[in-house]
Amino acid sequence: MHRPDRSATSPGDIAVELRGVDKTFFQRQRSERFRDVLKNLFRPTIREIHALRRVNLAIRCGEIVAYAGPNGAGKSTTVKLLSSVLAPTAGTVRCFGMDPMADRVRYVRRIGVVFGQRTELWWDQPVAASFEWKRVVWQIPRRRYDEMLAFVKELLGIGEFFHTLARQLSLGQKMRADIALMLLHEPEILFLDEPTIGLDVLAKRTILDFIKTLNRERGVTVMLTSHDMDELEQMAGRIVLIDRGRLAYDGDFTELRRRFGDRRHLTIETGSAEPPPLAGVRFTGSDGNRHHYTFDAARTPITALLQQASAHTAIHDVETHRARIDDVIADIYQDWNADGD
Amino acid sequence: MTARLRSLAARWRAQAHLDFMWMTRDLRFFLINVVADVILNLAGVTAVFLLAERFGGIGLWSRDQIIFMLGYAALVRGFLDVGFGYNVLHISRRIGRGQFDHLLVQPQPLWMGLLTEGFMPFSGCWSLLAGAGITAWAVVQLGAGFPAEWWLLLAANLLASCTVALAFSFLWGALAFWAPAAAEEISSRAVNFLYQLKAFPLDGLSAVALTGMLTLLPVGFVAWYPSRQLLGIAAPQLWHTPLAALLLALVAAIVFKKGMKHYAQTGSQRYIAWGHRG
Repeated sequence: MHRPDRSATSPGDIAVELRGVDKTFFQRQRSERFRDVLKNLFRPTIREIHALRRVNLAIRCGEIVAYAGPNGAGKSTTVKLLSSVLAPTAGTVRCFGMDPMADRVRYVRRIGVVFGQRTELWWDQPVAASFEWKRVVWQIPRRRYDEMLAFVKELLGIGEFFHTLARQLSLGQKMRADIALMLLHEPEILFLDEPTIGLDVLAKRTILDFIKTLNRERGVTVMLTSHDMDELEQMAGRIVLIDRGRLAYDGDFTELRRRFGDRRHLTIETGSAEPPPLAGVRFTGSDGNRHHYTFDAARTPITALLQQASAHTAIHDVETHRARIDDVIADIYQDWNADGD
Repeated sequence: MTARLRSLAARWRAQAHLDFMWMTRDLRFFLINVVADVILNLAGVTAVFLLAERFGGIGLWSRDQIIFMLGYAALVRGFLDVGFGYNVLHISRRIGRGQFDHLLVQPQPLWMGLLTEGFMPFSGCWSLLAGAGITAWAVVQLGAGFPAEWWLLLAANLLASCTVALAFSFLWGALAFWAPAAAEEISSRAVNFLYQLKAFPLDGLSAVALTGMLTLLPVGFVAWYPSRQLLGIAAPQLWHTPLAALLLALVAAIVFKKGMKHYAQTGSQRYIAWGHRG
């Protein structure tokens, strides 16, 4: 199997660098009042949308970085800036030392982009035709193309629908085909904007496992956006959270949990349907004699809670587990929203 | 230069393969497509042909000269159908539907993508064949025994007329960079305008109308003006149409480039998955 030449970059080198990046969009606001018709036409109110504000971000070669944030936070804008599609309003965007806009043709040879809600496949053609078309446009040497095709066919299982029209594929098949297509030219970095959106559990797992394999075996750098935090936690060692255009967190998941509260679930089974009153927890409901709470383990030690409960009633059983990262992030988004309001 | 030509040829070959496979995926579909295209093309020129036939010509034009112009017009449409399918000619659809990004993530200059991605030599050739047939028949009827340089001028003028139509479509189509939803169909409207009027001899129009038809709405350059020059109906100044094509292409390129700059700032918030490669 051919291994791509990565001699120009080595693990630890900076692949992506955003410095002081601003991206502002201008949105025309329309009044619905009849008397404002002329104003709407000639002097409309323009609202500035700051999609990104002073964003500084560096991604090292070989990293997998999860890029997350609520809707409208600026995730897709960042991916577009890194894909030669958009230019920043201010600041500099560099990837492998290149300016994606100025060096577009040379640059896009080295990257792979997937927008989860778009397809690069020729709609009315078999999947195979899009692959052959890509070989020509990307000028991929035949031998390397054949090797890469065999590789993606094996790992993504696209052989079974390789000769089916793209329009007849299921969502999961289409995404697998799109990812395979993206990889044919052996990009050094992947920008994946919600690549698992709308996919079932199995299709998701196939794609995520594949991305991990690529990263591990071929040293491909990955920047991945998703709303599925569990998925991101499985994939990436590092998470970058963005909120209203600003980087709000950049670090690992453990630190994220610690910083934003180590939320846990606690279930206590007692001999009574009456839940024991506990300080420093939130009671979430009872299920017969089983009583459910959530609490922040960083502030309230579990031993203290059990002491409180046993002082009140006899405890038959105890279960505790960490909150899903999705819940942690949901709490963070909720806090951000409250701060914004 | 040679490498670039090789790249272009390779891309055209790949597109031709895609087109052939698409065209032949179903025999019934293939035949319906051919018949529909031939009917559509003949319908586009029939009215003028019948008028010319009934009255033995129109104004300064003899019946055979009119047929030549109709053939010329069909050839222009044919070349555009062959070279700029998949909504390249109707560029505002790609821009308005947010599909322009597909071109931007390909490692080739934009012009190369636009020049090759719409190549449909099989499914798009029926107008071209009809145009070639009509033109050949008209040339035989005219019996003029045109010299070799006349054929070269015919080729140059055909290229210029195609450029006029393409530039006109891109000039209007660039509006979609600023108003993606409102202007999504503007290229189609511009092209249809040219197609609907291309077969009419414009002699006898007022100077103002004629100036308009050769500048703002350059339908005159699609068939009428070059045909009357080639056939000697007017003083033969055969560089007029190429010059007009050059100027219009230049204006279109400037406006399109401005649109691209705007697009780099705004991008597209609107994406429609179907169409650009359908």
